[in-house]
Amino acid sequence: MNSRERVLASLRLQPPDRIPFDFALGFSPYQLAQFRARTGADDPDDYFGTDIRGVKLGPTRLRTDFSAYVGELPPGAYTDEWGKAHIPTKSDHLYHAHLEGYIFPMRNLQTAQDALDYPLPDIEAEYRYATLPAQIRGYHDRGLAVVAHMQVTIFEVAWYMRGMEALLMDFLEDSPFAETLLDRITAKRVIQARRFAQLGPDVIMLGDDVGTQRGLLMSARLWRKWLKPRLADVIAAARQANPDVLIAYHTDGDVTALVPELIEIGVQVLNPVQPECMDPFALKAQYGDRLAFWGTLGTQSTLPFGTPDDVRRDIERRIEIVGKGGGLLLAPTHMVEPEVPWENILAFVETVKTYVPSWRSAPTLETTAAP
Amino acid sequence: MENLKTLYTAIVEGDAKTAKAVAESAIAAGVPPQQLLNEIMIPAMDEVGRLFEANEYFVPELLISARAMKWALEVIKPHLIAGGAQPAGRVAIGTVKGDLHDIGKNLVAAMLEGGGFEIIDLGVDVGADQFLEAYRTKQVDIVALSALLTTTMPSMKQIIDEFKAAGVRDKVKIIVGGAPVTAEYAGEIGADGYSENASSAVTLARSLVGAG
Repeated sequence: MNSRERVLASLRLQPPDRIPFDFALGFSPYQLAQFRARTGADDPDDYFGTDIRGVKLGPTRLRTDFSAYVGELPPGAYTDEWGKAHIPTKSDHLYHAHLEGYIFPMRNLQTAQDALDYPLPDIEAEYRYATLPAQIRGYHDRGLAVVAHMQVTIFEVAWYMRGMEALLMDFLEDSPFAETLLDRITAKRVIQARRFAQLGPDVIMLGDDVGTQRGLLMSARLWRKWLKPRLADVIAAARQANPDVLIAYHTDGDVTALVPELIEIGVQVLNPVQPECMDPFALKAQYGDRLAFWGTLGTQSTLPFGTPDDVRRDIERRIEIVGKGGGLLLAPTHMVEPEVPWENILAFVETVKTYVPSWRSAPTLETTAAP
Repeated sequence: MENLKTLYTAIVEGDAKTAKAVAESAIAAGVPPQQLLNEIMIPAMDEVGRLFEANEYFVPELLISARAMKWALEVIKPHLIAGGAQPAGRVAIGTVKGDLHDIGKNLVAAMLEGGGFEIIDLGVDVGADQFLEAYRTKQVDIVALSALLTTTMPSMKQIIDEFKAAGVRDKVKIIVGGAPVTAEYAGEIGADGYSENASSAVTLARSLVGAG
């Protein structure tokens, strides 16, 4: 099997020759610099031979001025296309180089009209999809699977503009402002999902963090009212445009309580399944016939703080149980942070590539390829 | 006292306007502010914390209750100060050096304030020097440290070590929390306490100042 066949088999709940893997959110800047210094290579995905690559929307040509919304910014700060201002950390520690605070441009807005008047970005504009066909074809020609990224889909991008506390209170208070804002975002995401699906990636990754490590961020009632129907619309648009594209959904935290409803609206792959608060083994037992898992290797526990043997043990157990019969794409649950030991990264890659699980009794396609 | 029950309910249900209005009329009617705080408002926030622990309330409910508490507190605060009332304790709280995540820290601060503590919020990306400064100038009983990332957890240890180096570690209680932080880690770095969430942080803080 090549990488693409491997990913497709596993995410479609068929047994792959081995469990596919990737680095999820990639390497933090410090870790990437370490990687380059150690290996002389540029790209961890190419160097380690991960099985899937990501594509995303091209850059915007809009140059919206958000100064009326965010005020004067401190040095080093900038606004993104949604108007959220990014403020770099004051710390000069190398480890902290990728950390930033936010200023929320909608923090003082109040009415539905305010939400209508706000300049949203042109994520639906055709020119932003122009380079994607060639990128996707390029990866497919190399035998790689492709995921089209559209995480931070509705809720998160809304709170990136509004502020999380304010938006959560809006939800509880049936705010017309929030309703208008979410409707406007969803309308654009529906177009984006349709366009992405038409371009033929293997997976579309949606995502909004709605879990905390002690359970849901908001009640299931609020999630059902505000987010579930809108997420369902986005998924339906992708599905209608391309019945074969796999729908993955990312949320941090423990969302065990929402899993049946995510499946109900068409989610086929759940990411990242943080093992510190969500049990991938129990999920496999309960939903493994309907849902695949992408992630499961803890970036708050084993990866930074375990030994290479701990990493191997965690991976083997996941391949044996969660990967049984397919249904797993192994990855760290978040960015590979600066404090992750190099030996643990090597142990992760080596184990996933070489471990032969007991459920794979037949020889692999790779080993039977010889005459 | 029927009115006061309305204040209790307004805080539990997160109705800030009613909470403020009832607090105002209670003060005008001569209800002692200390009584309002201790018998109505703090018990209301304790109930909010209980509902959160029981998974009946989630973060949005905590937020609107904390806002109602805040509005009522703003009404009675000048009267509390005029009457010489003391808070349950003073807490200097911040997200540690390098880390800019503040939602968890803000929730803990709001719940502690609802529990009768005075909060000195140092914000995010806060180093040992700022915590020490707050300790020295503000008569702080508790220093509360927050971190969201494994990358910034070591800043917690550095801050505790700086309190030791300054010879004041035993003069103040230091508590820690945040997604990757565990009770074991809190023990390792020599913190006085760890809380898993904003509600139990109140119980922890009370036990450390002997008010629990």
